[in-house]
Amino acid sequence: MATTKTSYQLVLDGILDQNPIFRLALSMCPAVAMTTTVMNGLLLGIAVFFVQVASSCTVSVVKNFIHPRIRIPTYVLIIATWVSVIDMVLAAYFPAAYAQVGIFVKLIVAFAIITMRLEMFACKNTVGASFWDGFGMGLGFVVGMVIIGIIRELGGMGTVFGINILDSQPLLFFVLPSAGFFVVGLLMGFFNYLEAIYNRRKLGIITYESNKSNLPGGGCAEQHSSGV
Amino acid sequence: MKEIFNIAARLTISFMLAGVIMGAVFVMTEGPKKHNAHVNEQKVMLGLLGFSEDNPAPESIKLFNLYRYVLQQGDNKFLGYVLPIKDKEEHQLVVIDLEGQYVAQYPLQISMSEVDDLDLRNQIVAGAISSEYEFQFADKSIFVNDAGERSAYLLPGKSSGFKTFIHMIMALDPQLTVMGFEVLEHEEDPGLGDGIEKDYFKNQFRDKTVEVMKSIKVVKMPLPQEYRKYLENDPDLDEAERVRIREEHLKDDIYALTGATISSDAVNNGLKIMLKKFAYRIKVLEKVISEQSIPVAF
Repeated sequence: MATTKTSYQLVLDGILDQNPIFRLALSMCPAVAMTTTVMNGLLLGIAVFFVQVASSCTVSVVKNFIHPRIRIPTYVLIIATWVSVIDMVLAAYFPAAYAQVGIFVKLIVAFAIITMRLEMFACKNTVGASFWDGFGMGLGFVVGMVIIGIIRELGGMGTVFGINILDSQPLLFFVLPSAGFFVVGLLMGFFNYLEAIYNRRKLGIITYESNKSNLPGGGCAEQHSSGV
Repeated sequence: MKEIFNIAARLTISFMLAGVIMGAVFVMTEGPKKHNAHVNEQKVMLGLLGFSEDNPAPESIKLFNLYRYVLQQGDNKFLGYVLPIKDKEEHQLVVIDLEGQYVAQYPLQISMSEVDDLDLRNQIVAGAISSEYEFQFADKSIFVNDAGERSAYLLPGKSSGFKTFIHMIMALDPQLTVMGFEVLEHEEDPGLGDGIEKDYFKNQFRDKTVEVMKSIKVVKMPLPQEYRKYLENDPDLDEAERVRIREEHLKDDIYALTGATISSDAVNNGLKIMLKKFAYRIKVLEKVISEQSIPVAF
């Protein structure tokens, strides 16, 4: 079942309705570990963005050649290839940034969000739609990382992008790993609250069913199960 | 059965394609990567000499590379040093036997900028000594001159750490007292062995004389609080206190890193051996240079 959404809707979905961090609650480890400063969050976000777009396009191009029984290994191989490419390019051309996020870039291979988008979307849609889906999801991840980073850096160190703003350190606790969970949790609540308000305004009602219908359905396994 | 072959074939093709892509990117990024490593090494070397971006090295500072070769003629082994010649864009290969006696010298037509290139250098050396010796490049050391006066030596070297080699670079003053060392590359355990990069471990070697370094060892004792403050360049300590603490601990052994005795030992032994060998070689080399009155650049 190919998607009927326009590119604009796909991108907006990735940022708001299906934001990887706040709505789908995927790839939480980097969201907690790498967001002590805005810069770190942004750099990792950009790396994930490129891997997501490149992998989504690759999978949708070769989707007819992927044997359904080995689709996950193939996805992992495709992701690993792109991650290695990004890793080598970063190391060669952006050594300062690489020193900061180097070890996390290699971990992108295991980020749930990328495999999930390949399985749920890219393997059944056209290249164009997959590109926009990857674009939206990647952008949603970047936005999420930056929002968490701003809150934590501002709260913990009183700075944003290393520029002094508050001239004090209100809550030193914010730079510690445990604070990541608090910030992510509060932001998730905030995003849910926004959706609730939006639904109430637009539809006049909030039902569980209406939320559920937005969430993605089954993967490629269903599509191929009869043939295996 | 047929399906298994199908799957195997598809997997093989996918892996080969992935390999080709990764290989192509690797080839493309190899040059800039090497350049970065080189820039980083230069920065570390200048850092060891006390220069930084805020305090750049003056024009009078000059770095000369000295390359050491091991030459073999039948069963006899010799050492060959590639020496830069003063005010000329050429080098001289000086051959010394293992007892420290001068054997021969060969002129090498290679400039200061070309001599860094290993392949080119090997080629020129091979041409100069024709087929008299079999040769192999051993290591390099760097002589630092400030306005014509020897101001420091930089010795790159390695030592086997907990898992792999620890690559280090060590700075010595003209009296061969340790000015400091930096770890260039290591794979020690994060949180344990990677403490070898911390100031409170690294700076323990600072100001140790060649005599002290001969018998220095790693001791499993807690690092005194005051000494640790000094090693970490704590701004709370004033100059008089710094001098006092420095004098007090000048002959101390190295306090091992907690939970990383093997890494501490590896660094200590590596530096000791590097210093010991260099101290001997430099003595022999200086003697030969003055006996043969070779106009060296450093």
